[in-house]
Amino acid sequence: MIYADNAATTKISETVFVEMLPFLQEKYGNPSSQYSLGVKTKRAIERARKQVACAIGAETAEITFTSCGSEANSWIFHSVGEIFGYESFHLITSSIEHHSVLNSCRALETKGVKVTYLPVDCVGRVSVTAVKAAIEPNTKLVSLMLANNEIGTVQPIKEIGKYLRKRNILFHTDAVQAVGHIPVDVKDLQVDFLSASAHKFNGAKGTGILYQRSGVSLARFVFGGEQEHGNRAGTENVAGIVAAGFALEESVAAMPEITKRMQKMVKLTVEGLRAKIPGVRINGDTKNRLPGIINLGIDGVSGEALMHLLDLKGICVSTGSACRTGIDQPSHVLMALGLSEKQAKSAIRISYGKYNTIEEADAIVNSICDAFSKIARTKN
Amino acid sequence: MKQIKRVDCFACGKKQLTKDEVGLNKKMIGREIKQFYCIDCFAEYLVVSTEALLAKIEEFKEQGCNLF
Repeated sequence: MIYADNAATTKISETVFVEMLPFLQEKYGNPSSQYSLGVKTKRAIERARKQVACAIGAETAEITFTSCGSEANSWIFHSVGEIFGYESFHLITSSIEHHSVLNSCRALETKGVKVTYLPVDCVGRVSVTAVKAAIEPNTKLVSLMLANNEIGTVQPIKEIGKYLRKRNILFHTDAVQAVGHIPVDVKDLQVDFLSASAHKFNGAKGTGILYQRSGVSLARFVFGGEQEHGNRAGTENVAGIVAAGFALEESVAAMPEITKRMQKMVKLTVEGLRAKIPGVRINGDTKNRLPGIINLGIDGVSGEALMHLLDLKGICVSTGSACRTGIDQPSHVLMALGLSEKQAKSAIRISYGKYNTIEEADAIVNSICDAFSKIARTKN
Repeated sequence: MKQIKRVDCFACGKKQLTKDEVGLNKKMIGREIKQFYCIDCFAEYLVVSTEALLAKIEEFKEQGCNLF
């Protein structure tokens, strides 16, 4: 099998797995317990918090572990609603955000919050000028993703953060796809909140990360005990949190080498396909992008079909569209770039990760060419 | 396998392909196709086993795709 869908999820790192395993077996204490078994697990959580904080330039007290990136995102929107009062504020986001952001915004809209969904340009970039122009007197929050999960485009978060900080407007970035893959420093970006997810950087599923800048308020989202420094109730996912810490530390340390290899694989894939197939279109920004993601479309070829043919050959990639009860629905991200429905439905996403090889990239090119010829011959 | 309006195999001429066969062709080649293969010819064309295609049909059904 060739797994090239690392933007969906990643294989847990071997060393990370070894680190987390004891916390599912002999070190199973509840971190809130007062005896040694509990204290040791609490220490492990605090070590992970330090690892995560170091990796993104934060203080340990600014890191809260959640169950996933979607929880971290939803929490921000719930919090601003609770703090500012639902009918009295305005927030800004973009049209290409993850559904955990878009659906949180829609939930707030039903309670009276005014939401501006900024458009993006043809490569998926939000304009800084558009952010500035959208600000209203009662704008309390701007939420923009650091890097898009479908096309890999990286947003000008630093520039926007600098502007918003001066105006005292809260700024959240959904960095689920970016953390562990490109350098991220919360102070440099000037964000107040940042969300991340461990399974996107070779950690385990079930652990999210929420950065909350010191001094910025956050309303409670999960009620119960005083876990996570009183920020989030619920017995901690110790093994997952331990995995998150080690995985992020490992990803950041290996980032220069992995980035270089992924860029080589992306180049080889794009050039290989363009040499053999007419009408290959690359969706998204070719400069400001995550290193391992390629979103491509081939004119007249269904992305869904291509994905399934590759699956038959043991290659995992994803498509920009979603099949819901038989109806092939185009991606909201690709439609926001200005693609036609047909073009959006032709897209597939190849996302390379740390375990992919140049040989696998070669095999993917050959398999796509083979699948393309089968689709083309049948249609003609 | 359920029956739908008559579609024959483009390669071997097998009469009246099932809904699953038609759905599989649409999934694997494109929704707008006009020519369809029966499952055995499709397996031969794609150079996979018939069993692999039957397994895919089951996966699509589990996902709730009503092409099947």
